[in-house]
Amino acid sequence: MAYVFVSVLIITSILLTLLILLHRGKGGGLSTMFGGGAASSLTGSSVAEKNLDRYTILAGLLWIASIIGLGLLLKANSGA
Amino acid sequence: MLSAFFSAFRTPDLRKKILFTLFIVAVYRLGATIPSPGVSYGNVQRCMDILQGGENNQVFTLLNLFSGGALLQLTVFALGIMPYITASIILQLLTVVIPRLEQLKKEGQAGQAKITQYTRYLTLGLAVLQASGFVALARSGQLFNNQCTAPDQQAIPESTMLPMWLTLTALVITMTAGTGVIMWLGEMVTDRGVGNGMSVLIFTSIAARLPSEGWQIWQKSKGIFALVMIIGVVIIGLVVFIEQAQRRVPVQYAKRMVGRRMYGGTSTYIPLKVNQAGVIPVIFASSLLYLPTLGLQLFEADKMPKWAVWIQNNIVQQQSPWHIGIYFAMIIFFTYFYVAITFNPTEVADNMKKYGGFIPGIRPGKPTAEYLDFILSRITLPGALYLGIIAVLPNLFMDLVGGNLQNFPFGGTAVLIIVGVGLETVKQIESQLMQRNYEGFLR
Repeated sequence: MAYVFVSVLIITSILLTLLILLHRGKGGGLSTMFGGGAASSLTGSSVAEKNLDRYTILAGLLWIASIIGLGLLLKANSGA
Repeated sequence: MLSAFFSAFRTPDLRKKILFTLFIVAVYRLGATIPSPGVSYGNVQRCMDILQGGENNQVFTLLNLFSGGALLQLTVFALGIMPYITASIILQLLTVVIPRLEQLKKEGQAGQAKITQYTRYLTLGLAVLQASGFVALARSGQLFNNQCTAPDQQAIPESTMLPMWLTLTALVITMTAGTGVIMWLGEMVTDRGVGNGMSVLIFTSIAARLPSEGWQIWQKSKGIFALVMIIGVVIIGLVVFIEQAQRRVPVQYAKRMVGRRMYGGTSTYIPLKVNQAGVIPVIFASSLLYLPTLGLQLFEADKMPKWAVWIQNNIVQQQSPWHIGIYFAMIIFFTYFYVAITFNPTEVADNMKKYGGFIPGIRPGKPTAEYLDFILSRITLPGALYLGIIAVLPNLFMDLVGGNLQNFPFGGTAVLIIVGVGLETVKQIESQLMQRNYEGFLR
């Protein structure tokens, strides 16, 4: 049982990381951080990006669920 | 002030942005409290209590500050925003050294996007490294100063269900993915919310620690608490004053014809801020100063060579004059360094010349660049001194309060970041409000 959770966790972690890396970076680096000029970009997001967002959120939810599941499982086991 | 606040909420798109930002902040804080799988929450809490009672735990204070206390609790978002900051700093520095990066930077938006992409890859790389480091430290008990190494007190206890190596691997992978998620949250705030996402998240994690730090001081002594509050308000006022301070260099644009239209002929100014570098120098300096602390962890306490003992007593100890002096000097150096990186007088002068602008009384081109450089290096001196003094202040007050210092809520790095980010965010909200009606928060 724990092995299932661990493998789900590892797979979703890697998937989530890849999906996030697929996004276009919007941070703008340090120059706009801590009191740089406010650079606003008026770029809309395409359909592909919206789908990417959706998949990322889905992967994120799965990831959180597997973390909590595994945590609870290990805790219940160590308590017993 | 309040009416401006209400009108910010009455504007639909601004309201949506503010609520979105608050939502992301909530998600971030939530993630910062979920313990990673395999970490025993109860044991970690007990270790923290032992540490709080013990005399000093200054190794990871700055990191812990940036992660909002999530680091020592080994939560999902334990690494916080630190890998991203480190990656950005590294890439900033590399743009000076590597010609290809410099070329990318000059390319404008497309090049900048590419640099951001490199930063994100580097962030994840660093996250893997740091996660492995912390998991190893937590496993060996050094993260908590070897205070709780008994088998039933370990932060990551043995489990009968999984072999240890698998638990540790899962931990590292989880934390790395957590860093990725934080990065994404930050980018979403930048994109769809108010303010710069990364700084909003740092702001959140620092602000989240204030109540508990304040509570500790309150419990110790109420008189000191009142004193700290008064000093805090004074310091915040001072920081706001200097952050807003700027020298306006007048620029006159010549009139010119493009086709049948007339352009230019206006007079504007270049704002040169007293503290052009922001809080970056403080972050650089404190990250560098905490390297020897990390290095000393390699020695065993009773078998240190003489020089290591000297470093331990003079550089690691935050009250020692050596530590304060080095910290101060490094901040001043990095302030000049960072201003030199971010503001290029020659480039500004060239751009001005291209569009027919000039500073009255100064010839365009090289003399203008020299003039700007002269002004900049003059006004950066008070800026650098101010940064140094504010950052060093808690070290001087250490004996008075007797707590952890960089966490000391109303001095040093914390206050600089909070005020800086706060001002920036309010300004951005205001500029959006300005599109609707013409009365803002700041007057």
